Amino acid sequence: LASIFSGMDPATTSKSNHCLDAAKACNLNDNCKRLRSGYISTCSRELSATEPCSRRKCHKALRQFFDRVPGEFTFRLLFCSCKNAACAERRRQTIVPSCSYEDKEKPNCLDLRGACRADHLCRSRLADFHANCQATFQSLTSCPGDNFQACLGSYAGLIGFDITPNYVDASTTSITISPWCSCKGSGNMEEECEKFLRDFTENPCLRNAIQAFGNGTDVNLSPKN
Amino acid sequence: SRRKRARARHKPCELRELEVSVSELGLGYESDETVLFRYCSGTCEAAVRSYDLSLKSMRSRRKIRKEQIRVAYDDDVSFLDAYNRYYTVNELSAKECGCV
Repeated sequence: LASIFSGMDPATTSKSNHCLDAAKACNLNDNCKRLRSGYISTCSRELSATEPCSRRKCHKALRQFFDRVPGEFTFRLLFCSCKNAACAERRRQTIVPSCSYEDKEKPNCLDLRGACRADHLCRSRLADFHANCQATFQSLTSCPGDNFQACLGSYAGLIGFDITPNYVDASTTSITISPWCSCKGSGNMEEECEKFLRDFTENPCLRNAIQAFGNGTDVNLSPKN
Repeated sequence: SRRKRARARHKPCELRELEVSVSELGLGYESDETVLFRYCSGTCEAAVRSYDLSLKSMRSRRKIRKEQIRVAYDDDVSFLDAYNRYYTVNELSAKECGCV
């Protein structure tokens, strides 16, 4: 009965998109629903007029979500493919960026990297990301060992840490990912900073991995995680 | 089919579920997100107590109109609405049903 009801509603089918489908799949799974609701309520709970949320608690809830929910749900939410802005905005909103990502000021990327390296878990997650998403010319996909899953997994592993990456806008044509930082004020480390930032913003391996997942052209869609 | 309806009406109290869009919940939220709505339905004939007999008597005397089924509520559910705002709703769905 339930499937007949939802399947026949013209309003939902005409507005459907892959990101909405991913949210549905999560809502219909008790574990995913509970942990998604856990981070959403934590990340959107206003503390006071000056403090919109507790970033520390929000990050912790996000880490729990990505650690405890299988990739078949989390990857669908993070890397859904979009044909319109509403879908892309929903994708950008996945991690509740107003709390987990954006800040009043943009710190220098190398300072952010330093903060991450001071935390042993963040340090190892960042090392995983660099190893698994390192763009290479030695493979067709630009990814080490043509392993998209490993790259996507290490990307998701950064969420909820100082270096939390996200989509920078709701563009449907070009995907740009970045942590919340810039290379202003890098001094003589400018080149080092730009190189670090480009691993997110201009990384063909990461981009191909996300696009392949969204198009369903990636063969191993269900990671063990 | 009248018999069928009568039998359906006499299904014992149980948890049922329906996939619905958030907008259909009637809580004033505009969102195309789908949630699982679980609810309690059925009859309580299998658990007749003195209380139920008396309740029936009160009803037949038109002193009480409808009997209640108590439920335990499910976990919170969150969703993104049509204006890109997140909401969390608690005690939306039933988790357990019982004739009490």
